[in-house]
Amino acid sequence: MQEINAKVLSCEPLCAGLTRIILHAPEIAAQASAGQFIHMLVPDSAHVPRRPISLMAFDRQAGTLTLVIQAKGRGTQLLCAMKAGDSVRCLGPLGRGFDGQGAETIYFVGGGLGVAPICGAMDSFATATSRAFFGFRGAQYAYGMTQAPCPVTAVSDDGTLGERALVTKPLLEAIGERRPDLIMACGPVPMLAAVQAIALEQGIPCQLSLEERMGCGIGACLGCNVKALHADGTWSYKRVCKDGPVFEAKEVDLRG
Amino acid sequence: MADLSLNLCGVALKNPVIAASGTFGFGREYDELYDIGQLGGISVKGLSLRPRTGNPPSRIAETPSGMLNSVGLQNPGVESFIEHDLPWLLTKNVAVIANITGTSVEEYCKMAEVLAPTGVHLLEMNISCPNVHEGGVAFGVKPESVYAITKAVKQFARQPLIVKLTPNVADITENAMAAQEAGADAISMINTLTGIAVDVHKRRMILRNNTGGLSGPAVRPVALRMVWQSAQKVNIPIVGMGGIETGEDAAAFMLCGAQAVMVGTANFTDPFACPRIVRELDAYCQAQSVARAQELVGTLQAY
Repeated sequence: MQEINAKVLSCEPLCAGLTRIILHAPEIAAQASAGQFIHMLVPDSAHVPRRPISLMAFDRQAGTLTLVIQAKGRGTQLLCAMKAGDSVRCLGPLGRGFDGQGAETIYFVGGGLGVAPICGAMDSFATATSRAFFGFRGAQYAYGMTQAPCPVTAVSDDGTLGERALVTKPLLEAIGERRPDLIMACGPVPMLAAVQAIALEQGIPCQLSLEERMGCGIGACLGCNVKALHADGTWSYKRVCKDGPVFEAKEVDLRG
Repeated sequence: MADLSLNLCGVALKNPVIAASGTFGFGREYDELYDIGQLGGISVKGLSLRPRTGNPPSRIAETPSGMLNSVGLQNPGVESFIEHDLPWLLTKNVAVIANITGTSVEEYCKMAEVLAPTGVHLLEMNISCPNVHEGGVAFGVKPESVYAITKAVKQFARQPLIVKLTPNVADITENAMAAQEAGADAISMINTLTGIAVDVHKRRMILRNNTGGLSGPAVRPVALRMVWQSAQKVNIPIVGMGGIETGEDAAAFMLCGAQAVMVGTANFTDPFACPRIVRELDAYCQAQSVARAQELVGTLQAY
């Protein structure tokens, strides 16, 4: 975990609604692993909380981090408006990422903005028999498929890319053909809940990357929480920033 | 270097910058970033007699120059703190302030009793949490109840008792005076201001608890005014807080009458905020040719 002034190498539109930012952040890249995030200070003092942004890619040799940001509110708009040469304060890498060690076949599932951390997971853990399943609203929102290290099946809500279907459809078909050792997923909560249900029903180990509004980003303030189930039937809140953002599917209750 | 040290209710602090309760956990996470022994004190995450799960997500919403939170006093309970966290904190050469909360006067008294034989240096009684119905704010609104609970807890407290006041009242100075009359050793102010955040697209509240506590620079002018007004009315020390981001902000609170300050939300914007504020306060004192930071306290020139 390092707090650094990262230099913006590029900040460009990636697809409809999303911006790709490449940062020179060698101290963070050196320690990063797939599924982790950085806590970015909005370059305007009126914005108090930072923005937790997942790593889409990290390159230890080049010292770079690749991020995808959806300009939603004023803070993310300002981050997406940065220019090459700007610097931005970043704390990271933070959180517990994906772990694909020992898995022979991994199925990666990403939805929308959630495809970004899944790309990072694929770079780190894709095997010869692994596959990926991406869901987008439509073709204009699609990204992350060109340099994928394993075959990608994309579907869309409007039918402009692949089949008009939810991403769980090709996932279920693939599971029928070959059962994976592990599923990794990131995307909107309804998608995560559907993937979680499939994994639990079929007894397939599954890791879900969650998103939540965060305060400190390092586990101190308890501002970002998810309901975690214990083996004895009890539950408690875990910290998305420190205990996650990646959790075992069997461990979390996504209904809050 | 200016002398930043102070004596807060008989406890020696190396400087007046204290990490505010609820933003700093028990200090472990920030100690991974810097030595928390650089700070004057740490007010730990609010403790209750039994563990509390806290509120469901989402607990945080950004607001103009601030944020709302509704964590709801999630904590592992005072016994767990004493067993697992306090021994470590006491090795850190920093004043440890146990922030306590309860659902009845008896619970507050029991908390003070349980903490009495420990190495905790000060108690901060939270009678002002806006985020849980039974979170103490019921005791913190009326001067009579502030008086009653302070009087009761003082009988069990072995450490100096700081009473943390809510700004969500008609006249905070009445509560400050009530705390003083009941024997409080100090007051801390202000807790968060109650607010809500609206998601207009979904047409619903952002916070699952509906309401939350506003903090950050947005509240600073209100906090300064309340500290300044209270300082005119009480003689016991005031620990000021509300949107402090810089050493000059800390100095402003001291000029208004605060002996020490607490820094909360700024930790989220800049994880190194607390030690930076210590350095900046020192620089401010030097620029003002002030040898001892405590000379600033209450010297604000008002019209």
